Amino acid sequence: MLAELLQTPFADSSVYNELAPDGVTPRPHWAPFIDSLTSLGSDELARRWERAERRIRENGITYNIYTDPQGKNRPWAIDPVPFLVPPEEWRYIEAGITQRAELLSRILDDIYGERRLLSNGSLPAPLLFANPAFLRPLAGVGIPPSSRLHILAVDLARSRDGQWWVLADRTQAPSGSGYALENRTIVSDVLPDIFRLSNVRRLAPFFRAQRDALVALGQSDKPQVVLLTPGPLNETYFEHSYLARYLGFPLVEGADLTVRDRKVFLKTVEGLRPVDVILRRVDDSFCDPLELRGESFLGVAGLVDAVKAGNVTVANSLGSGVIETAAIMPFLAGLSQKLLGEPLKLPSVATWWCGQESALRWVLDHLHQVVVKPAFPRRGVEPIFGAELGRGETQRISDQLRARPFEYVAQEQVALSTAPVWDHGQLHSRSLVLRTFVLNTGTGWMALPGGLVRVAGAEGPVVSMQKGGHSKDAWVLWDQPIETFSMLRPRGQPVEINRGSVDLPSRAADNLFWLGRYAERAECIARLLRCMMSRVRRVTGAQLACLFHLHACFDESEPKLPKDRPATARDLEEELISLMTDAGRSGSLASTLDELQRVGGQLRERLSTDMSRLVVQLAESANVESYMLFSEYSAVLDGCLELLSAFSGMERENITRGPGWLFLSLGRRLERAMYSVRQLRELTSMSDDATWPFLDYLLEVADSSMTYRSRYFTTLQPVAVLDVLMADGTNPRSLEFQLVHLADLYQKLPRHVPEDLEAMRHAITLLHSLDPATLNYPLPGATPDNDTRIHLNRSLGYLQDLLDSWADNVASTYFGHARTFPISIGG
Amino acid sequence: MTYRIVHRTTYKYKHPVSFGNHAVYLNPRTDERQRCEAYQLTVDPLPATHSERTDYFGNRVSFFTVQEPHDQLAIEARSVVSLDPAEPWPEHGPAWEEVARSLPGDTTPAGLDAFQFVFESPRIRPGPDFAEYAGESFTAGRPLPEALLDLTARIHREFRYDSKATNVRTPPEEVLREKKGVCQDFAHLQIACLRSLRLPARYVSGYLRTYPPPGRPRLIGADASHAWLSVYCPGSGWLDVDPTNNVVPSQSHVTLAWGRDYGDVSPVRGVILGGRDHKLDVAVDMEPLE
Repeated sequence: MLAELLQTPFADSSVYNELAPDGVTPRPHWAPFIDSLTSLGSDELARRWERAERRIRENGITYNIYTDPQGKNRPWAIDPVPFLVPPEEWRYIEAGITQRAELLSRILDDIYGERRLLSNGSLPAPLLFANPAFLRPLAGVGIPPSSRLHILAVDLARSRDGQWWVLADRTQAPSGSGYALENRTIVSDVLPDIFRLSNVRRLAPFFRAQRDALVALGQSDKPQVVLLTPGPLNETYFEHSYLARYLGFPLVEGADLTVRDRKVFLKTVEGLRPVDVILRRVDDSFCDPLELRGESFLGVAGLVDAVKAGNVTVANSLGSGVIETAAIMPFLAGLSQKLLGEPLKLPSVATWWCGQESALRWVLDHLHQVVVKPAFPRRGVEPIFGAELGRGETQRISDQLRARPFEYVAQEQVALSTAPVWDHGQLHSRSLVLRTFVLNTGTGWMALPGGLVRVAGAEGPVVSMQKGGHSKDAWVLWDQPIETFSMLRPRGQPVEINRGSVDLPSRAADNLFWLGRYAERAECIARLLRCMMSRVRRVTGAQLACLFHLHACFDESEPKLPKDRPATARDLEEELISLMTDAGRSGSLASTLDELQRVGGQLRERLSTDMSRLVVQLAESANVESYMLFSEYSAVLDGCLELLSAFSGMERENITRGPGWLFLSLGRRLERAMYSVRQLRELTSMSDDATWPFLDYLLEVADSSMTYRSRYFTTLQPVAVLDVLMADGTNPRSLEFQLVHLADLYQKLPRHVPEDLEAMRHAITLLHSLDPATLNYPLPGATPDNDTRIHLNRSLGYLQDLLDSWADNVASTYFGHARTFPISIGG
Repeated sequence: MTYRIVHRTTYKYKHPVSFGNHAVYLNPRTDERQRCEAYQLTVDPLPATHSERTDYFGNRVSFFTVQEPHDQLAIEARSVVSLDPAEPWPEHGPAWEEVARSLPGDTTPAGLDAFQFVFESPRIRPGPDFAEYAGESFTAGRPLPEALLDLTARIHREFRYDSKATNVRTPPEEVLREKKGVCQDFAHLQIACLRSLRLPARYVSGYLRTYPPPGRPRLIGADASHAWLSVYCPGSGWLDVDPTNNVVPSQSHVTLAWGRDYGDVSPVRGVILGGRDHKLDVAVDMEPLE
């Protein structure tokens, strides 16, 4: 039966075959599974698998590849055939890895405590002193013992004789348990009957225990636990958000947290929320720029101090990465005897730390049999396979080892066992590594029954998710009744209706605010550009002069027009092209759309799929091709503006009116108000009597030409244009409309600052005092230095300053959680 | 010898800072021949929180946060320190190779403490170029104290003091290549040389008394933060040398703190919210009291 599924005979006697020792007869614990798979048939499996793969893509299950030119978001590669572990074998592994967790935890305790293992010679001092992961600021700090090594991952491989070996310990911030969980969900969904009949041990009890253990680490009555992630660029970000949701803890980045009074808080728009426990997926040295790596933006300044004050617990503890080094492996057997009084149950792969004279000599004599690795991994240093070294290289590597021996380890290369991988209807044989997990429950150790199996992408011994490998679910087949607890709410159980939303994190609010600002900024820029680009080649004289006035309405501190001579139409044309397409120029349309996309990317989990897609389309909407004529550029801008109005439509119609929407709208109104003020100021600064083309342009930019014509026919007068663009509260593009809405949105925000609300109301009062109907505004051709015009221009300048300070204060209050400066109310 | 030291650091920020989190190493150490008699730290604006700790290397470090908006931060540390004269320089000592060879096996507290300073640290990565430069002084079998003085004198002679040539991030490799820098660079360079020979060397941050030109009054604030290094020599303990001035520190050098390199003991560091660019002004005044 098996033969039908096998593409190539599995008989490779140089490695351990997990499925079938002779290549055709399955081992007893595989036999029922293979029978079921055969009766299911490969067509049916293919059909189900196609559906599962679609779900993987739709659910956005990804693993980011650092060196992938396609960037992030590679779909998670998983194999439908699980890896099967029989009961007696699991008991052996479980005993081995839990003992290892206890041992490593005790070593960590000693390293950050009394360091007796150093003074009594059981652990060579360079393992600490030469190890960048030894975090000196944490030495001697008392922390809850069970947070020292909250979770441990152990990578296992099986050699030809069937023995399991430990390849590596992950003590820093082990990844993979979330992917293991996701794999289980997918595979048990594809093979539900086989899964049920196989009596597989469940994963959920492990995660329940992890949740309980984390909560128990908190000091307060109702402890707040958060999961700290480096952010969406991290390779395992999907897992962070998946685990956070599954465990029920907020997913936060360093910028979401702040330390005040030696305590950690989560910044939300509702205020600062105390944080008791941090499950960290950020490497510890990046966790506090004040006391650890100064250049890190991923952490929280003052975190170490908060830990020392006993106000927050971090799991795994800061500094736990110190024992990830393979250099510790040769000493574990002795340390097990010394600290636990028992032999090490699960052996480590043969390892030599070259810092010892005898080990170095052995390694130099047997260089071609081993893999040489840096003892303390640094970026960009790859393992060296001794067998592949040429003669010259051997000499060079030997010299390196002799010069700084304690920086290197050598390991025997295990010939990895192989497991079946399903591909296009047949089973292929691939090398595998099993990552297992052990949790400190606070009262003991608990192993995740199963784990994350990683298999090589092709035939051969290299297994790495970074290098295109696959993953598998691991089924521990059990001989006892199993616990079938689930963390998810059963379908039959009623839900509570919930219309509230959880506190909006400040960073998300900040991003939404800027999403609104950039979307509006892009629109304002595109409208100005379109108006000018369609004219710059056709106009001269007064009209051209007015285009230069319009150019002054860009928020541009460094215009690229000639300073030593009067600018020509040709100069302006080039300037406009630059303002449209130069992504390296801040304030250009291209760079604004890039920013929009960047901010949108940060909000991936808060925007609908449609909106996210629009953001991506927008990023390319202002691109021009080299073959295009200048006259075609306005058509490109038309397309861009259409997408922008689709975006603002979704903003109005498709988002619930929670605090998130308030910030988005606030950003949009603020930006539009700023552009509006600049345009009105420009208008009121023009003292010559040739302003009428400018009036026409302004109406077009503000999409208000029709409104104006319906009221005033074709007579263009500054005072009437001012009324439409500045004072008319029914025009959604007027300044009045923006200010009134700003005040309204702002007062709906939680804990708004009364002084800032007052400042905006004052701005509205000021604007109302400038009613064009009662103003003695000069007619075209009147005296140039008219007092009314100058007063109006000054007042608008004051409003412009007020809007800038007001935006800073909103940012300080809600995003920075700092006290604000009073806005000076003058005029 | 007793000094009253005033160390004033002022940051002027271009944009207001709404929140600042700072750590300062401005409290002089007390050890065998130096006693810190008094220490007072004053910060303006008044910090919201303040704590004092002893760090991993035994230095005193003060942490404080300023939680109100400010566009200037003034940190003033005042201390009174009395110094005994340094022990006479050892006339004999073990051969340097012997020190490098024996230290890894020395698990006494002093030996372990010294051994950690043999290794790479964030700002100092030993390498063959440093070993080669040091080799001219560290000839076969030469006693460590003698070779150390020779290397110190060579750095003083062959490197030019140039406060424009480097900044706090300049790596020792560049200093060796360009042959110029300031006290911190020369200390880092000499430490890199010694560690490349597997000798234990630590970075010392402190103050140096300066003397006015003859007949002129002492200028207040003209003294300086200074840096030198210290090397462990079994039998004699830690030996300080100052490559910038080619002297053995004694009555004019006050030790603030020591660590593996500048990064461990930079006098003032902070993480701030806002601010963008800043202007930094440092003034040190070291007044002899007797």
